[in-house]
Amino acid sequence: MLILDNGVCPSQQGKALFLSLKTRASVRARFQNRELPSMESRMSSDPKEQAGPKTRAAREKKRTLALFYCQNTPESDEAHRQALEKRYASTLKLFPIACSGRLDPLHLLKALEEFADAAYVVACPEGACRYFEGNLRARKRVERTAETISQIGLEKERVGLIANSKENPKPLATLAEEILDRTGLLRPSPVLHRPKRGRGTKEKKDDHSRKKTHG
Amino acid sequence: MITAERKPMDEIRAMIAPYKKLLVLGCGSCVAECAAGGEKETGMLASTLRMANKMEGKEVLIQEKTLDRQCVKDFVILLDDVIDRYDAVLSLGCGAGVQAVAEMFSEIPVLPALNTEFLGETRDQGLWVENCLGCGDCMLDDFGGVCPLARCSKQLLNGPCGGSKDGKCEINPEVPCAWQAIIDRLDRFGSLDRLERIYPPKDWSRKQGGGPRRIRREDQQR
Repeated sequence: MLILDNGVCPSQQGKALFLSLKTRASVRARFQNRELPSMESRMSSDPKEQAGPKTRAAREKKRTLALFYCQNTPESDEAHRQALEKRYASTLKLFPIACSGRLDPLHLLKALEEFADAAYVVACPEGACRYFEGNLRARKRVERTAETISQIGLEKERVGLIANSKENPKPLATLAEEILDRTGLLRPSPVLHRPKRGRGTKEKKDDHSRKKTHG
Repeated sequence: MITAERKPMDEIRAMIAPYKKLLVLGCGSCVAECAAGGEKETGMLASTLRMANKMEGKEVLIQEKTLDRQCVKDFVILLDDVIDRYDAVLSLGCGAGVQAVAEMFSEIPVLPALNTEFLGETRDQGLWVENCLGCGDCMLDDFGGVCPLARCSKQLLNGPCGGSKDGKCEINPEVPCAWQAIIDRLDRFGSLDRLERIYPPKDWSRKQGGGPRRIRREDQQR
């Protein structure tokens, strides 16, 4: 379970989310140290629930998806969340939110900046948001975030919103796998995976910092 | 309130390119209300700039902070303890805020991340419209609370142009005809006779031509 600095469980609404998002290293360390529930034994051996080939490939490439999801998503309680994160290890980071409308573009940007190759949101179907417009607002915010990251050369597909089906809503695990398969096609994030400089390449000095003129 | 919009990202990146230690400074007042320079937008811009630098392998320190107001010295002075860490400030304040910070910390470049636009109101969620030009000679009492200078595309003082259609301006159909609003309002108050008065051309000297304006209130000063 991801414990944030103020000790508040992320399943609580609003404030617990992203109060202090740590670097990849510290997030990984927390995951390694936490205790897992006995739900492990309830993990299905159903082949349908096993990770797809693209997901395995994504895992092999060690890419990470930050997935924010409305707590109204089927099979998305704490036990399911922990089981999913255990199954996908560092490939998937899950963040429950009270409503997709609680999502702020800053959440997606911070995820992309600090640890995620892609950041997605799972929302309720249109017309089915318990707060009426939350999912509509989330969609607009995701679009704005996509526009923002495209301005610095990142693919718009690194962020997205998936609205669950009204007639046949899918559980969180299924949606997570679908999104992992989709984002697995992206190259590793250039924010997190900087190309190595060749030998002999000197960084041009262009330090224009102003010197203090007073004591 | 003062409204503003963020500059294009390319323009911002070109402005900050020479600097290695940057403070992205937000403002919690007008620009927060119009979702241009508040704490959220400041965080978003700082995060985006950090990502851009990481992608290019640039080692640039970018940190963010938001003041309640950038146009009031009592808030700007709060930067005194931290300003020496940076070699430039990227301000998400309006033009007044940028200059107030620049005046207090005159040895560090203060760069504008926003284009300041107009005085206006929040007409609806996500919609801000201009309704005041700051002319310095308010005549709203004569026009039922509707300013013919700010809200009439032609800035007419003595009645409608006659070109409106269905209550919309002929120059910009998205704009409600100000004179339709004026007449409706005065009619409601029973004050249509005010329209019989002839207004001379606006005296703009109260707004411009005399250099930067100032207001001094000695009873407010120490």
